[in-house]
Amino acid sequence: MINEISKQPSPMLQTNNLTKRYEDGVLALDSLTLEVNPGELFVMLGGNGAGKTTTINLFLNFIEPTSGEASINGIVTHKEPLEAKKHVAFVSENVMLYQNFTAIQNLDFFSKIGGHSDLSRDDYRDVLNRVGLAEDAHNKRLKGFSKGMRQKCGIAIAILKDAPAILLDEPTAGLDPKAGYEFIRLLDSLRSENKAILMSTHDIFRAKEIADTIAIMDSGRMIMKEPAANLADQNLEELYLQYMAGHDTKAAG
Amino acid sequence: MLKIIIEREIKDIVSSTKFAVTFAVCVILILASFYVGAAHYNLNKQQYDASVAENLRQMEGLTEWYSVRQHKVFMPPQPLAALVTGISNDIGQTADMLAGSQVITEGSRYNEDPIFAVFRFLDLEFIFQIVLSLFAILLGYDAISGEKERGTLRLTFASNLPRRTYILGKLIGSFAALSSSLIVALGLGCLFLPMMGVPMSGDEWIRLLIIAGSGLLYFGVFLTGSLFVSAMTQRSSSSFLLLLVAWILAVMIIPRASVLTAARAVEVPSVDHIANQRSSLASQLWAESRDAMTNFKPDIDDDDPEAMMKIGSMFSQFMDSLGTIRNDQMSEFSDRINEERFNAQQIQQNLSFNLARISPSTSMKLATSNLAGTSLELTKHFRDETRAYHKVVGDFIREKTGMNPHGGMIIKINDGSEEPEPIDPSELPSFEYKPIRTATAINAALPDIGLLALFNFLFFTGAVISFGRYDVR
Repeated sequence: MINEISKQPSPMLQTNNLTKRYEDGVLALDSLTLEVNPGELFVMLGGNGAGKTTTINLFLNFIEPTSGEASINGIVTHKEPLEAKKHVAFVSENVMLYQNFTAIQNLDFFSKIGGHSDLSRDDYRDVLNRVGLAEDAHNKRLKGFSKGMRQKCGIAIAILKDAPAILLDEPTAGLDPKAGYEFIRLLDSLRSENKAILMSTHDIFRAKEIADTIAIMDSGRMIMKEPAANLADQNLEELYLQYMAGHDTKAAG
Repeated sequence: MLKIIIEREIKDIVSSTKFAVTFAVCVILILASFYVGAAHYNLNKQQYDASVAENLRQMEGLTEWYSVRQHKVFMPPQPLAALVTGISNDIGQTADMLAGSQVITEGSRYNEDPIFAVFRFLDLEFIFQIVLSLFAILLGYDAISGEKERGTLRLTFASNLPRRTYILGKLIGSFAALSSSLIVALGLGCLFLPMMGVPMSGDEWIRLLIIAGSGLLYFGVFLTGSLFVSAMTQRSSSSFLLLLVAWILAVMIIPRASVLTAARAVEVPSVDHIANQRSSLASQLWAESRDAMTNFKPDIDDDDPEAMMKIGSMFSQFMDSLGTIRNDQMSEFSDRINEERFNAQQIQQNLSFNLARISPSTSMKLATSNLAGTSLELTKHFRDETRAYHKVVGDFIREKTGMNPHGGMIIKINDGSEEPEPIDPSELPSFEYKPIRTATAINAALPDIGLLALFNFLFFTGAVISFGRYDVR
């Protein structure tokens, strides 16, 4: 029994009764408790204002929690933000990089501030090839890049950081189906590298395709959390709508 | 980490179109200012040499030193004054040495060429004050808020990057990138000086170096100020608007408002008022002299064959003594009222400067004009120099003629027995103008240079504090 407990991985990403109420009184997140273990891809589903981005912002210490805490690799983010951020990479919905820089120059800058000063141009080329950015775009300025190309650069930056945890804030929004598919395959390979991945998305189908755990959020609360395997035989879209309707009814009641 | 941010900032700025345009305009304007300054210096030097020669020529053929009535001295052109004109074009650059007991300066550049008074010169001070400050705002207004709008701030701070390191790196990087363009332009501009035959002493090069340093500090004030405002606002358009208002206040409003406020607070007698007072006293003294002249009765024997010669000589001595008394009284009165006016002016000026120093623009102007020797101190310095020379000339004339040079009427009777010898103008002591000393100029500029450094520090501290609380999302 003792051996079994010691073998259980400690969560890489964790929140404990995490609550955020803004100064205007809006409750953006209400007592969220979740855990994401190494090698696990945790998907948060929910509409706008559900609290998905707030959760990610709290992990990155962009905002301070009203109560509770978020931790990365056991480090509480609002207490030791710089230390905590060493263990996490981030890809946003709309990756914005320096427009006057080439893809490689952007990778060079962001990997250096991420603590990797020892990478060569070959390393940058390799990772850009891995994420599927065409060779001829490696040395082009980002000014002419499409959203899909920028997202690929963003995920390349996250890969180069080689952090044990990855936060993804609606990373497939606006991507064409091919780019979306390639992105999901990349996540799969990152998961196989034992990364703990927390992804927020509106995309129910991608969530079902890739997630280990699926949570549905609404109005700052996590109203459902299930291993994806348990939902394999269910219509997730229907389930999502049922939950949302049920929560709305409860809230109205 | 700091080095990485600095490098990125430099690369980002240098690769932008905004920087390319700014760099080109800066180089053109600075080179133009050096070229125009050097050309004006050479022109002024020619005019100065011509005026000095003409002044000596007017003495040719005179046979008596007391006949020298038109002796003038001129302020020689200074190389640094060509680059930072200050008030050098506003003040009289010619002083009449023998017209009376007072040294009156006249012949300002703007008086002779009024067109320049309207448009002023394209000098370094103008470029620093207007152009550099605007460029600093243009390049710095979106330093933080622009990064937020472009979305790069969020990804940057997903890394374990301390905010202080980031903002310090941004400041150093942007300052290095932008100041390097200025240094290149100033360096190229300096080449014009020897190429165009402008003689610069070692001291003048040092002063020019500090002038450039003051310009960079001033540029830094607007850059750190832009960083500060940018770190307080969420949108770059708001930041730009705030900075534009601050620029108008700092460069246009505060210096002028300070002068007006000081003028209302401290009353200074006008030049006309002083002139009226002097004129009244002069009339009174002349009336007294006339009375004395009426009562002039030399004790001479009418039968003396040389009676006329003796009367002439006695009358000359009498007039000379009257002139000396009148001159002493006028000098004493003039010195007193001038000193009173000067003291009031100093109080008003100090109040005005101290109020205006709220604006870094004033500190930069005062620092650069002090270093160039073209500050308000130049008026006093030239006056002191000419007054000292006025005394030397007076003593020389007295030694040569035995008479006071301002004695008024002189009667000389020549019986034709001897041919008068022409005077040798080269005997007249020459006017050796000594520019304001380098140590004096630097000492005068130091408080304002210190203020510029303080503005930099305060704005940067403000930027660090604001950015510490900045919403980077």
